[in-house]
Parts: sequence; structure tokens; C-alpha cells
Amino acid sequence: MSALPQLIVAGIGMGSIYALVALGLVLIYRTTNVVNFAQGDFPMVGAFLLVICLFHAGMPYWAGILVALAGMAVFGGLFNLAVYYPLRNRSYLPVLISTLGASIFVQNTVLAAYGPQPANLPPLLPLRGFQVGGVFLDPQYLVIIVVSAALVLLQYLFFEKTYLGKKIQATAQDKETASLIGIPVRWMIMLTFVYSAVLGGVAGILVGPIMYFSIGMGTAIALKAFAATIIGGFGDIRGAILGGLGLGIIENLGAAYISVPYKDAFAFLVLFAFLMVLPQGIFGEKIAEKA
Amino acid sequence: MRTIQPRPRRAIPVEVPILAAGLALAGLALAQPLGGYATGIAMQAATCAIAVLGLTIVLGYAGQITLAQASFFGLGAYAVALGTADLGLSFWTAFLMAVAVSAAAGVALGLTSVRLGGHYLAMVTITFQQIFTLVLTNWAEVTHGPDGVPGIPRPELFGHALSDTRHYLAFSLVCLTLAVASVSWLRRTALGRAMEALRDNELAASVNGIDTVRVKVIAFALCATLGGIGGALFASGFAYISPDQFSLAESIVFLTMALLGGVKSALGTLVGASLLIVLPEVLRFLKEVYLAVYGAAVVLIMIFMPDGIWGWVVLFGDRLVRRGPQPRTAGPLRLRREAGDPGDVVLEVRNLAKTFGGLKALDSVDLEVRRNTIHALIGPNGSGKTTFVNVLSGLYRPSGGRIRFGGRDATARAPHVLSGRGLARTFQNIRLFRSMTCLDNVMVGAQRPGNDLSAEGGGVEARALSALDFVGLLDRADALVGDLPYGHQRKVEIARALAADPALLLLDEPAAGLNTTEKGQLVELLRRLKGLGLTILIIEHDMPLVEAVADQITVLNFGQRISDGTPAEVLRDPAVVTAYLGEAHVRAAA
Amino acid sequence: MRRLLGGLAGLALGAAAVAGSALAADVIKLGMIAPLTGGAAETGRYQMNGARLAVEQINKAGGLLGRAVELAIEDDQTTNPGAVNAFNRLANDSRVVAFLAPIRSTQVHAIAPAIARTAKPVAFGGTDPKLTRLKNPWLFRFRPNDEISAGAIVEFGTDVLQRKHWAIVHATDAFGTSSANLLVTALRGRGITPTTVQGFTTATQDFTPIVLAVKNSGADIMVSFATADTDQAILAKQLKQFGVELPWIGSASIVSATAMKLAGADLYGTYGLSDYAVEASPEATAFAGAYKAAYGAVPDFFASWAYDAVTVLAQAIKAANSTDPQAMRKALLETRGFKGAEGTYDFDADGDGLHSYNIVQNRDGTPTFVKRVEAK
Repeated sequence: MSALPQLIVAGIGMGSIYALVALGLVLIYRTTNVVNFAQGDFPMVGAFLLVICLFHAGMPYWAGILVALAGMAVFGGLFNLAVYYPLRNRSYLPVLISTLGASIFVQNTVLAAYGPQPANLPPLLPLRGFQVGGVFLDPQYLVIIVVSAALVLLQYLFFEKTYLGKKIQATAQDKETASLIGIPVRWMIMLTFVYSAVLGGVAGILVGPIMYFSIGMGTAIALKAFAATIIGGFGDIRGAILGGLGLGIIENLGAAYISVPYKDAFAFLVLFAFLMVLPQGIFGEKIAEKA
Repeated sequence: MRTIQPRPRRAIPVEVPILAAGLALAGLALAQPLGGYATGIAMQAATCAIAVLGLTIVLGYAGQITLAQASFFGLGAYAVALGTADLGLSFWTAFLMAVAVSAAAGVALGLTSVRLGGHYLAMVTITFQQIFTLVLTNWAEVTHGPDGVPGIPRPELFGHALSDTRHYLAFSLVCLTLAVASVSWLRRTALGRAMEALRDNELAASVNGIDTVRVKVIAFALCATLGGIGGALFASGFAYISPDQFSLAESIVFLTMALLGGVKSALGTLVGASLLIVLPEVLRFLKEVYLAVYGAAVVLIMIFMPDGIWGWVVLFGDRLVRRGPQPRTAGPLRLRREAGDPGDVVLEVRNLAKTFGGLKALDSVDLEVRRNTIHALIGPNGSGKTTFVNVLSGLYRPSGGRIRFGGRDATARAPHVLSGRGLARTFQNIRLFRSMTCLDNVMVGAQRPGNDLSAEGGGVEARALSALDFVGLLDRADALVGDLPYGHQRKVEIARALAADPALLLLDEPAAGLNTTEKGQLVELLRRLKGLGLTILIIEHDMPLVEAVADQITVLNFGQRISDGTPAEVLRDPAVVTAYLGEAHVRAAA
Repeated sequence: MRRLLGGLAGLALGAAAVAGSALAADVIKLGMIAPLTGGAAETGRYQMNGARLAVEQINKAGGLLGRAVELAIEDDQTTNPGAVNAFNRLANDSRVVAFLAPIRSTQVHAIAPAIARTAKPVAFGGTDPKLTRLKNPWLFRFRPNDEISAGAIVEFGTDVLQRKHWAIVHATDAFGTSSANLLVTALRGRGITPTTVQGFTTATQDFTPIVLAVKNSGADIMVSFATADTDQAILAKQLKQFGVELPWIGSASIVSATAMKLAGADLYGTYGLSDYAVEASPEATAFAGAYKAAYGAVPDFFASWAYDAVTVLAQAIKAANSTDPQAMRKALLETRGFKGAEGTYDFDADGDGLHSYNIVQNRDGTPTFVKRVEAK
């Protein structure tokens, strides 16, 4: 049996997780021009909130998801107020460090509150995995792919077709002009963080049944997601998806056919090649500075 | 010689007290009665601080972010560890190896990232760091893999073995002191100024003769070398190293140390490094939550101390001790007079073309600028004037045509090369080094390669002061350029170009945004410059000003030259009248 | 000036010594370095619980030399410098008579130079065989080392399970890599070359390439070495998904409480190499009962080694009738046939206390004792 189809399917599974986190990263980048290094912790917080709802508060699955996502909305708002908003007029560096500090804070607060034991979630669909032509499919991966696709579509419709979406886009392009024409920039930024945190929460809930997540799980995922956004083209939603899926597949193929211990290197080597040859990524903005 | 106030006695450089305090601290380390715990932490802080000083150079001075400092720290540490424990070299041979290996790696990283900035550069360095960690872990035949390297010996110094940890701490502190003093001194050298110029405005730096690629690579090399030295000392101090000590997480800690303390000063870095080593230890009583408190502290310091802790201390100190402006004196501004007739062609442009995608911004433009004339380039908005200047100064590559400058081919040369041949320019939207003083800004101009006049007399600083005096801003020499009013900033930019002793001065809309009085001063300044023998190519919208100063005018429209001649000829040219002058007269009248 | 400073320092030290000896009459302090934060924070709790249980039992039985025993715990942040700082901090307290060092071998390597300077007995749980051969007289290991584990695996796999085609899967951290190398060496002794050896980075979330490699290698037995219990759990799940059914012997983390809880049925039937098994001996069963009564959970080897370390150290102090480091060292080296929760302690000249491993099998979620394999 050729291993190739199986490796690609598994790669798409991991890749869609990178893509989901990358989506949140891109959203925040588009409105604030800041890369949020704590983005990887959003899924972790979301997943742990759901664990608390299900196993400690004894809620039914659907109610737990609603409460966890509501919790993520609040978390996103607080994150904005505490970590980004006070620094909004400064260069990217202090904000970058601030998000790194926030990441340490969030991880260790969860550690202190929940404890160090890893957890995982029951599957969303009560189905066992099945074989198709010698390839094993985990229904959870299908759920991830369907939900991600739906989210991307919704996000596209929201930005391109709704008034609110256009206001957020205007804020992203030029904050000063946006505020001059009466867009409440402050609220647009708030909305972005809230939505991005909810998106992170969704990612956490989706991967919860596949992974055994622990407080440190976000860092590795966030780095890959960050790499995915650059490969796809910084600030581009299509790019984030394509970059995420591509990375997932390349990693698995590299691991299987070249070297397993160097698995993590393949993502970075591809990224490095892109940065040297095509730094603006597949769908990207031009990065040259004009005189 | 004009004198504002008598010249003050030269102040003691800040490195003297740094050296004194550092050596005193090292002496104290020898005598201290504290146990292994405090000594161990101090040793950790001292060796890490040396590595973090590298970030002061690359991030604080040169403005380039790196998240790979732990990999250089690791390279130094592994060079010493493998050199001594496996190859049986002496500590000092291995130490030299550590310096060489880390410097070479720094050059490599610098070269790959010269064209990238911001988040992209962050990602390149993260990539470097991650791959370094993977190699360290998996190339076990050489690195011992995840087991790490035990039994790293301590060095001997003048026949005295540093096996007592207190002695080793004192040795580390001496190294640290030398590193702090060198990094602090670097800032006042031409290289340091070039780095700061690069940080504040890369384009302006390049047209002022700074080879930005070279300076970036040097900054990365120095940064990596300091990282390597810190790592070498760390390895020998703690006798055992393993890959997990040189991970991305450690790089992030190094970066946080630098920013927390205040990345623009060596002392700030020292404060940051010590604090981040000591803080978790002080917070130990909080048990499980102390890392959370530490994370929150990082966020709070970033919010409330924008320039880091040291920046905050300096600001507070400045408020307590108000210092007046330092009195300055300056000699007259001298410009080189080259041999040759006043009528010689200094700049010759033939068939110059530049296209952006399908758009022809310049279409076979010819132009000649003669020595000691003021030549004006005019045209309506979008006619290609600024593109022309950008191609001339090397910021854009031409799509076709030739440029000769000073009798040599100057087509598609790098900006700093052209600057080195005596081409100086200003920008329509002022491009100064905003966080530097007026004097430092102008000194960057004065230190351009090939500027013989800076080598004479009082050197770069004296020349810069003369240039500032020439534009009437000597009394603002020590002011931060960002604090000056707009009109003054224009003058500083001109002074920066003059200090470079240009063979040709390009002025891109120097009157933009000036009021009537300031425009009058500008006319007077241009005439004085012509009197000194300077050749000027000026791009301007303001027709009265052009008429008042220009010897020769070239008119561009839609990227093509439509007229060329003396003001009287050009103003009568019907093509010019229809294309341009009507609009300009309406604007001038308004 | 220097003399004045020295004099002051001497005075301060003298005062501290007086105060110290006055307090020392009250308690005997044991210093413990454990991960409370960072990647291994989870295992730190088990270790702390195990050590605390032993201290409580000793104090309930009247303490040591008529004095109460106290545990001073410092966090090592799961990092090497963190371990060095934690050790130095504890070593600064002259009332600490002996130490419990971390379970991670690299951390023990990192603090070994400081231990040599402090010159007091240190009990540790790192299984790297090199640690007791550093010529550091103060290191005492309370778990069987990785050579013993490799030997036990080969013996059980070839003699009991009758297998010839071995697949080895290991984490690329210090423990995983060196264990895999030792196993390859031990197999060579039986004339066997593994069909595949696969390394993976700790905290891998997707084992597809590895599982496929094992499946396609034609192996009839698999051995896994992982520090993180989550790695064993994910590996188990993916093996099941891809229909790979073969006898599987895992390193100790495969029978850790966390791995068994997370992986559930996916780990049923697997063998684990454990220094601790509840039914391995009456002492082990007694420890499990006491642990469950105190913390409401089943203990694993993280808890048991720390429990044993405290108990054996106490035993040595009693035997030496002193807390003098040399006397304690001598008493520890003379420990013979001491039955602890993990096994029987017979310290050799290197400082290795345990020489056997338990093979346990996960039978429907309960680690069941199968066999004890003695080192040869």
C-alpha cells in the first residue's frame, strides 16, 4: 500500500489546524498591523474552558460550547484592553513583546487555575473512524475541514458584503481616515480581537478531540501558523488557508520520506525559501518601501 | 571664527565611570560572603547580559529585530564545550573558536536578512533558531545530542585556575564591564551613528553614503559575537550545557531583557538582563503562580515604561537635573573647489527611462547640469520629477538610458556609492534621523566615505557644526531633530547634505511647506551656496522661487522633457505655458 | 577595607551558624527540587505528593533522631538553569542535610558540579547510566537505569514473547535517544538488528509517518521510549486507527496515570516497563493504599521514587545516627535488601540502588504486574 494518500490526508488534518489559527492571526494583523504571539494560546484557553464546562460544571456538549465561546469573547475583549490597546500608537516591537508577556501570563494562569494535567475532549460526532480505499479517515478531521471552510466563507461574506465588515476593512487600511469619516475605530479593533479570540476558541474545540492538549500546546502551533501566513502572503485570508494546509502536508511528506526527527525543520525551510525568493508570499502585499 | 560661548572643557566619557564601577563590582565579587545561590545567579546574569548586549547593537542601534540570540549564545557555548571536553583544546583556544564561529554565523544570518525587515526578519531569525535547535538535538555524533556536554573546564588566567566560583564570577564581571563599555562607546563612533541612521531611516541613510547592507551585516556579526562570548563564559561557568538551554524560548527571554531594560543603551540592557534573572528568583515565594506574575510584569512594563526601565530612569534624572544647551562653536563652512571650468558638465543624463509595470514614469529624458549653476527641474504633479531624482540618486534602477556624474558612468549605482562620489540630496517629505540630535544627523552626512574635508581640522564633528552654523541652527545642535519646527527640519536636512561636501546637491522641493519668510531665507541660502561654488539641481513647484534662483530650467511633463533653457527661454516656450505654467501661476497667486 | 568586610562576613556567618544549630535541634530538612511550572509541571505534583507522604509517615512514627523531618521544595521550572538555581538556593540553607534531585537526567547533569561542591548526599531519579559514573560520590540513584531497562526489554521480548522483528520508536530527547541506543546495543547482543528505528520530537501531535513506517517495516514487536505520557497516548490512538496490532512494550510513561486516563482502551494490552507496579510487592501495595488515602488517586513511578528516596534517606540517617554527610553516604552505600515501593534497594559502589525492572501489562485500564526482570 502506498503511504502517500494517507500522509496527505493527515497533513490536511494538521494543516487545517494551522490554518484556523493563522486566520485569527491574519484578522488581528489586518486591523492592527501587529502579530499576536499569544494567538496560539487562544485555542488552548478555549479548549480548557470547554473542559471545565463539560467535566467540572457538567453541562451538555452544546451548552458547554456556547459558554466556552462566550468566555472566549470576553477573553478577547480583555486581551485587547490589557495587552494591545494601551500600546496601539507605538511601533510593532513593544506590542510584540507585550503579546509574548501575555502568552506567558495566560499559560501560567491556566496552569495555576486548572493544573498541569493534559486533557482532551470527547469527539463532536459519535462516529468511529473509517477506511476509504486503504486510507483511514477520522471523522473529526472532516468536521474540522467543514467548519473551517464554513468559517472562511462566512468571513469572506462578512468582510466583502456587510457594512460592518467594510468598516473594519477601512480601519485596517487607514485608521486616521477611518476615524475622520466617522468609523468608531476603537470598537472596530475591539470587535476584531473578540472575533479572533472566538475563532481561536473554535479551533481549540475542534482540535480538542484529536489532541491531548496541555498549556504549552499553543506556542508550537502559533509558530507554524505564523509561518503559514507568511507563505500564503501576510494579511491575506486565502493565503493563510493555503499556507496552513500546505505546511501540514509538506511536514508529513518530509517526515515520512526524509527524516522524522527533522519534521519541524521542513516547515521552516519552506518558509525560509519563501522569504528569500518570494517574501510577499503567494497572495501577498508588496513589502518594498517607496521613496 | 564665530564664537557663541567659550568652548567648555571636554566632559569625561561615560565609559570611564562604567569601567570603574564594573571593576569595583568584580572586586566585590571576590570578597563577597554570599553562598553559591547568589553567586550562581550573578554568574548567570553576567553571562546572559553579555549576550543581550548584542541585541543593544542589532536592535537598539541598528533597529533590526532578531529572535535568534540564544542560537549564538549556544554556538559559543558548544564551541567551548566541544573544544575543551571533546577535542582537548585549552579554554582560550576554544574561546577564540567560539568567537569565530558565532561571528561567522552572524554574518551568514545578516546576509540572508538584509532585504527583510519587521515581522519578516523576525520570522527569518526564528527559522534560524529553530533549525539550530533541531540540529543540536539530532546531530548527536558531534553535539552529544539531547544528553548535553558535561565536564566543561574552567579557564586559567595568568596561571591562576578560576575553579572558585567567586573568582570565575569576578572574571565574568570584568568581561561584562568591557562589553558594556565597548557597546556604549560604539554608539559614539561613525559606525554607531551609521547604525542609528539605518534604524531611523534606511533610505536617508543609504543616500548619505551608508552601505546599509554592510552596516546590517556588521551589526549582526557584532551581535552574534557578543552572544558567542556570553555563551562561552556560560558554558565554562556552569560546566554542563544541553540543547534545551539555547531554544527559542531563551531567545525570547533575551529579547525581553533588552526591551525591558531599555534597548537603546548598554546600561539599560544590563538592567533588563539582571532584572529578568533575578525577578523569577525573587518571585519564588509565589510558587506556582510566579511565572504568571512575571508575564504580567512584562506587559505592564511595556505599557508604562515605553523606553524600558533605564529610559524611564534617565527621563526621571533629566527632570531632576535640568541641563541647558551645551555651548557650541563653529568655523566657516568650506566646500571643495574642483579643478575645471565653471561651465563643465557635472551631470549628464541621456535617454533616461523608468517604467513601473506598464506605466512610463520617465521617457527618454535628457539633462545636463553645469558646474556652479543652479539648475531647476519643474513640471506638473505626476510629471516624473521625483522619480527622476530617485533614479539619479540610485534608489530606483533605470529601465533605460545612461547617467554620467563627475565624468564617470553613474547608471544604476547603489545610493551609497553615488554619495561617496559626491552626490547629496534632500527629500520632498523630509527624511531625517528622527531620534537623533541635529548634530548627529549632520555628522552622518559629514562622515560619508571620500569626504576629505572631514579629515581636516576638527574632524567630522567640527565639519557638522560648520554646516549647522551655515544654515543658522548652531544653537540647536543638541536638540532632538524630531522636536524642531518643520522649517528648521528642512534646514537640518540641507545642512546634512552640505556637510558631505557634495559635488552636486539635489534638492527635492525644498520650499514645500515653508512660509514666505522661510522661502526668502531659502533663496538667500541658495545664493550663498552658489557663491561658495556649489552645483545644485533643484526640483520645485514654486515658480517665483525658481525664477529667482535658477540659471537653467528643464521642464518635464508625463515623463518627457518638453523644454530646456534659461528661465527667459523656458517661460516663453508655448509647450510649457500650456502644459504647466498656467496651473503654476494660479497656484502661486492663490 | 577588605579585612573589615571579611570580618563582618565572618561575624554574619557565625551568627547564622549559631542560629542554624539552634534551629537544627528542631527539624531535619530535606531539600527537594521538582518541576512545579514548565513542561513537566504535571509530574512535579506526583513527586511532591510521594515525598510528602513519606515525610508524614516518618514524623508520625516519631521523626528522626528525635527530630521532625521537614521538606523544603523548590521549583526547577523544568529547565536546567532553573534546577541549578533551585539547588543552590536549597544548598544555601545549612539545615538541609540531603536532597532529592529531579527525575530528568539533563537536570541532574546540570547540577552535578554544584552537588560536588556542596558535598551532601543527593537522591535522584534520572535514568541516564552515565550519571552514577561521573565520579561524583554524592549521587545516589533511586530508579533502575536505562541499561537495566534495555536488558529487561530484550529479555522479555525475546524469551517470553518470542519476537524477532523489532521496531523502536523514541522521543529525540535525552531519555528517548539514549534508551533507544542502549536497546539497539542490547539487541545486537542477541544478534538482532531492529527493522526500523524512528525518532520524534516530544509533544508531536501527529504520528502518521511513524505509524506507517512501523506498519510497513514488518515488525512483530514495537518498543517506545517517551518522556511525555501524552506522546504515548497519541501514538496508541493512531496505531489503533491504522489497524496496527502488535505486542508493544513502552517505557515507564506508558503506564503513568495520565497516559492511561487519556488513551483509555487504546492502550489496553500493552506492556509497560515500570519501576513501580502496585502488585509487585507488599510494600508497593501498601504504598498505593497510603497514597490513595492521602490524595485520592493511584500513584505512579513519579510518586514512588520520591517516596522511596525519602524513606531510604531516613533509614540511612537512622543507621548512621547522624546527619553528617560522610556518615550518611557510608550508610547509604551499605544499604542492602531494603524493600521499598519500587523494589529492593542494594546500593553498589557507583550509587545505583535498584537493579530490576517490573514488566506490567495494561489490563483494561489497570496496570497489572507480570514479571520482575533482574539485571544480569
